[in-house]
Amino acid sequence: MSMTIATPVAAAEKPRRRARKNRQLQGLLYIAPAVILVTIFFVIPVLFTVWMSFHNWPLLGQPSWIGLGNYTRMFSDTRFAAALSFTAYYTVIATIAIFALAFPLALFVQNERRGVSAYRTIFFMPVVVGLATASLLWVWLANVDSGLFSPILRMFGVTGRSANLLATFNNAFPTIIVMVVWKIVGFTMIILLTGLQSIPSDLIEAARIDGAGRWQRFRFLTLPLMRRTLALALILSVTGSVLAFDQFYIMTSGGPQNRMISVVYYIFNQSFVSFQLGYGSALSIVLLGILVALSVVQLWLLRVGDDK
Amino acid sequence: MTNATGMALRQVRKSYGATNVVHGIDLDVAAGEFVVFVGPSGCGKSTLLRMIAGLEEVTDGEISIGGRDVTDLDPSQRGIAMVFQSYALYPHMSVRDNLGFGLKMANTPKAEIETRVTAAAKILKIEPLLERRPGQLSGGQRQRVAIGRAIVRKPDVFLFDEPLSNLDAELRVSMRIEIARLHKELGNTMIYVTHDQTEAMTLADKIVVLRDGRIEQVGTPREVYEHPDNIFVAGFIGSPKMNFLAGVAANDGFDLAGKTFPLGYSLAEPGTPVTVGIRPEHIEVGPSGAATFSVEVDFSEYLGGTQYLYATLADGQSLVIEHRENTEILGDGSITVSCDPGRIEVFSATGRRMRR
Ligand SMILES: Nc1ncnc2c1ncn2[C@@H]1O[C@H](COP(=O)(O)OP(=O)(O)OP(=O)(O)O)[C@@H](O)[C@H]1O
Ligand SMILES: [Mg+2]
Repeated sequence: MSMTIATPVAAAEKPRRRARKNRQLQGLLYIAPAVILVTIFFVIPVLFTVWMSFHNWPLLGQPSWIGLGNYTRMFSDTRFAAALSFTAYYTVIATIAIFALAFPLALFVQNERRGVSAYRTIFFMPVVVGLATASLLWVWLANVDSGLFSPILRMFGVTGRSANLLATFNNAFPTIIVMVVWKIVGFTMIILLTGLQSIPSDLIEAARIDGAGRWQRFRFLTLPLMRRTLALALILSVTGSVLAFDQFYIMTSGGPQNRMISVVYYIFNQSFVSFQLGYGSALSIVLLGILVALSVVQLWLLRVGDDK
Repeated sequence: MTNATGMALRQVRKSYGATNVVHGIDLDVAAGEFVVFVGPSGCGKSTLLRMIAGLEEVTDGEISIGGRDVTDLDPSQRGIAMVFQSYALYPHMSVRDNLGFGLKMANTPKAEIETRVTAAAKILKIEPLLERRPGQLSGGQRQRVAIGRAIVRKPDVFLFDEPLSNLDAELRVSMRIEIARLHKELGNTMIYVTHDQTEAMTLADKIVVLRDGRIEQVGTPREVYEHPDNIFVAGFIGSPKMNFLAGVAANDGFDLAGKTFPLGYSLAEPGTPVTVGIRPEHIEVGPSGAATFSVEVDFSEYLGGTQYLYATLADGQSLVIEHRENTEILGDGSITVSCDPGRIEVFSATGRRMRR
């Protein structure tokens, strides 16, 4: 009796198991392109960089294993410390500047008013220009004689003679910040705009009836409901700033008195100017660690992944 | 807890650009009255309610609440509270904070917020839910919280925009009864928008029937049902829909399907075309009433307790009859039906009700 019952069950089990296996294979197939790309362009390079970072690796000649030597070297490297602190300073200032402008812009272009799509386009336009291209453009704009800013400043009597905006740190740094904000703000604005638009309008209306003013609605509704979007925008902005290179390389070549050497610029110098590829690799791995840590902290601060 | 306040609309208009949506509404609402706006989709019910709430600008006209002109006031200063169809609960706040948000914005002392939130939670029986987030509540519970948020503010006027339309049929009935109980307990003025006529009939002290941004009729549920001012109201209120039959005015009555029906008064010049309206539930099977006619039953639907008969008159016009007797009428056959002439409404070619 039990045999006759058991047989069909077992028979039914097999095709089902096979079907499940098929489905799993299918799933693997779907993610395969992404897995392959990530492996080739991220995992393997990172592993190779880790491998290199344990060596004294000249451009030509035989690499030699030095263990953690490159990592211990960093602690006494004052130029690396300077690059780190400059990058931190730049990241804080740039991020604050970008958000301080992107938020008002997003609020401005959120409402359906006349010509709003034109505004959105204008604010977003610089984003499509590459950072290197933008830097070159601004080098020209900031040129003492043939540029745009210096003659204008002189015309309005702000400066007596034509000022070279990129000659001193105190002028060059703000110029670069303005350029970066001009270049990036449209992107951050669009991200924030999607967050703003995902807030149902009845919520805002309910809050109006509840007597919440403009600022209170922003503080108690908009900001908390945009937490995820804010996290995204913040991480993108911070990551971008920590990895800053083009603008310093192109606009000031490391700046007056080498005061604008960012971490990536320093890594570049170590690797491709001094040809200490091993040390450069170690620095890159440390930078990767810093970025991961920063992102984790930001996600935690904004409590993303908490329930809605 | 009675701070009932009346409300008045004077020539209230709304247009979006060149499109006029609401055309000069005049309406008086007495203190403590339960007023229901009904009408087909797109007739401007929500727009009117949102203008009262202050969420939509009034293009022209005046709105006053409790004798105070509020036309240009901020929503929070009008003494109103609104319950939205989508509930519009703040998703990131606990139920407690949702209820207390308005008071917090008004800088109410913490202790008082606590008392009022607890009181409202008690009325709506949502005390065990106070620490939850809206996402962790069922539809019915969310609806209670939304109503609770309105109660906490102690408004003069409650505004509801189709508050029950997202609930299933059973819950709808129980929430409807709940809202009626609430109105009785609080005694506030309430304005309620719906396109469900059962909700309208059961809840309202006064029904306002709207069409295309105009008021078609204002009256108690009984007035609107028994004495509709025009063909639109007659057809909109009542289910199944009133039968409309093409007839001709005659001396002391009308001609319909080759037969003269006496009404005891003259409608118009004999020969004028009229529309005769008879509700399905006012037609009886059998020759008992004064106005008797015979119909051909095409088919019928049995709903338990009632039976709808789909029939045709001698001249081919179709007619629905609601039959509530126990005896089953089998389809396919000629039967005699009758109806009380006092229940018959007659409308002119322009749709206005004639007589009386
Ligand atoms: N922002 C707007 N711009 C233009 N027309 C609008 C706007 N909002 C509403 N309308 C129009 O106003 C009319 C009334 O809309 P309203 O929302 O008041 O209808 P309703 O009676 O509430 O309908 P429903 O029962 O479907 O909710 C509709 O014809 C609608 O198309
Ligand atoms: Mg509506």
